[in-house]
Amino acid sequence: MPRVRLHYYALFREQAGRQSESLETPARTPAELYAELAACHGFRLSPSQLKVAVNSDFSNWDRTLRDGDEIVFIPPVAGG
Amino acid sequence: MKAFAFTLDPIDAARLAAPLEATAGGAFAAFEGRVRDTSEGRAVTGLEYEAFEALALAEGERIVLEAIERHGALRARCVHRLGRLAVGDVAVCVGVTAAHRAEAFAACREIIDAIKHRLPIWKKEHYAGGDSGWVNCDHCAPAPESRAAHFDYSRQMALPEIGAAGQRRLAESSVVVIGAGGLGCAVLTALAGAGIGTIRIVDHDVVQPTNLHRQPLYAQADVGRPKAIAAAERLAAYNPSIRLLPLVTRLEDANADALIAEGDVVVDCSDNFAAKFLVNDAAVRTGRPAVIASVYQYEGQLQVVRAGDGGSCLRCQWPEATRDGLVGNCEQSGVLGPVPAILGGLQAMEVLKLLLDLPGQLRDEVLLVDLLAHGERRLRAPRNPRCAGSCVLVENSRDGTPPPELEVTLSLAAAAAEGYRIIDIREPLEREREPLPLAGQQALPLGRLLEGELDLEPQLRYLLVCAHGVRSRAAAELLRSRGLENVWSLRGGLAALSG
Repeated sequence: MPRVRLHYYALFREQAGRQSESLETPARTPAELYAELAACHGFRLSPSQLKVAVNSDFSNWDRTLRDGDEIVFIPPVAGG
Repeated sequence: MKAFAFTLDPIDAARLAAPLEATAGGAFAAFEGRVRDTSEGRAVTGLEYEAFEALALAEGERIVLEAIERHGALRARCVHRLGRLAVGDVAVCVGVTAAHRAEAFAACREIIDAIKHRLPIWKKEHYAGGDSGWVNCDHCAPAPESRAAHFDYSRQMALPEIGAAGQRRLAESSVVVIGAGGLGCAVLTALAGAGIGTIRIVDHDVVQPTNLHRQPLYAQADVGRPKAIAAAERLAAYNPSIRLLPLVTRLEDANADALIAEGDVVVDCSDNFAAKFLVNDAAVRTGRPAVIASVYQYEGQLQVVRAGDGGSCLRCQWPEATRDGLVGNCEQSGVLGPVPAILGGLQAMEVLKLLLDLPGQLRDEVLLVDLLAHGERRLRAPRNPRCAGSCVLVENSRDGTPPPELEVTLSLAAAAAEGYRIIDIREPLEREREPLPLAGQQALPLGRLLEGELDLEPQLRYLLVCAHGVRSRAAAELLRSRGLENVWSLRGGLAALSG
């Protein structure tokens, strides 16, 4: 199982209660990983409402996760 | 007959009043605003008025019709002068016909007050000493002593990348700032301090007590006043050498293109998704770079949209415009003052990098800033070839063959909205006699243009304008023969516009 590093921003940071974490995951794609985390941390946004970046690139939801990937879930924010 | 109009010619009060005659009208009240010979103790020799016409005409019409309705008047009209005026000239004239004098006076008073307060009209005062200064509105005139004070840019000009040439470029630049809240206060202060020549401040809202902790441009006494006006006033006192143009209006589909085309860069400091996507789309259509930021509690995001030169846009990442209400804003989720201050500072930094062509500009990237952990993350966000927005269309139209006609017929506001860079090729004296009806356009006399003084960029569209369209046609023809395909001439020149 790959070990990935997650970074949380905005409401994900609030809901996860942390800024980042490392975890080993059975998920093969960002989509599966998000589903796993949504169940565990109670994330309410659906994947279509947010973006994912893997290793500093905006990514598709179905790319293959690799050991050591850095993953950021990016919620939309609009405050000014 | 329009209830509100602009004119470049002297106002004839009798002609204005004639269509207002009505047999039921027992009263006719008129007001004339005239150019006086002093302003705040200084001798004035003349004035120049300019307006954001597309917006002012619609708003002026609304003001007159509202006053007729509210006071039960029969008929009313208002005409405002534009261009150069001498002392004693009539600058604005209002006429109202009503059954009785009370309604006539009241409607007349309301119209002139609203015209002065709500319309985007600016005046430049020429003083006896030969100098001049822009007076944005009744409230925005800086005190005489601060007007005389010197704003010294030497510390920023000492930077080798800036120098006198960079400072001049900033003075010739025009920036449109959408939203004068937390981000806006920081952006506006930094850009005013840097000496950006023209700053338009667009905000429809008024100052509220809950704004003050993160919006230090406003004083407690400003609560309840329009933010755009209060900000312009404060910034005019801070740096009297720049032009501040407040617009108390909401950014909408109908005005977004024209507003954003007025600047070289647009800075989005709005606080909602609807406005951010409006800014993005208008920036894409008009080819203007947009510096967009958002904050959330202790964090922020920053993105520079440069669709005009092939970059990605907001919709490349967010194909479906995010609905407001999905995630909290400052009101619902809270925000700490330094967060918009820092993100706004970063926006101003990107604006200056763009205008001065400094290295390290954000391009096809989203910057995530976490101010609790002090983490900064630069994510690559390239153009999405299936982007639902118009950035792809811009690319496609650029690949296509430009229309072969050398001349186009359209208003300057429409040209700007369609992405043409307007160049006034008349001589300085001609320009002074008759300013372009659309402010903030580039001016370079024909000879200097043909000598290559301006680096015309092949991917941009240029519209050359002269008095009658003869010189501009010849110039466009010549530039096309030199391989610049995207150059057009305004058919009939300015004469055709006013005719």
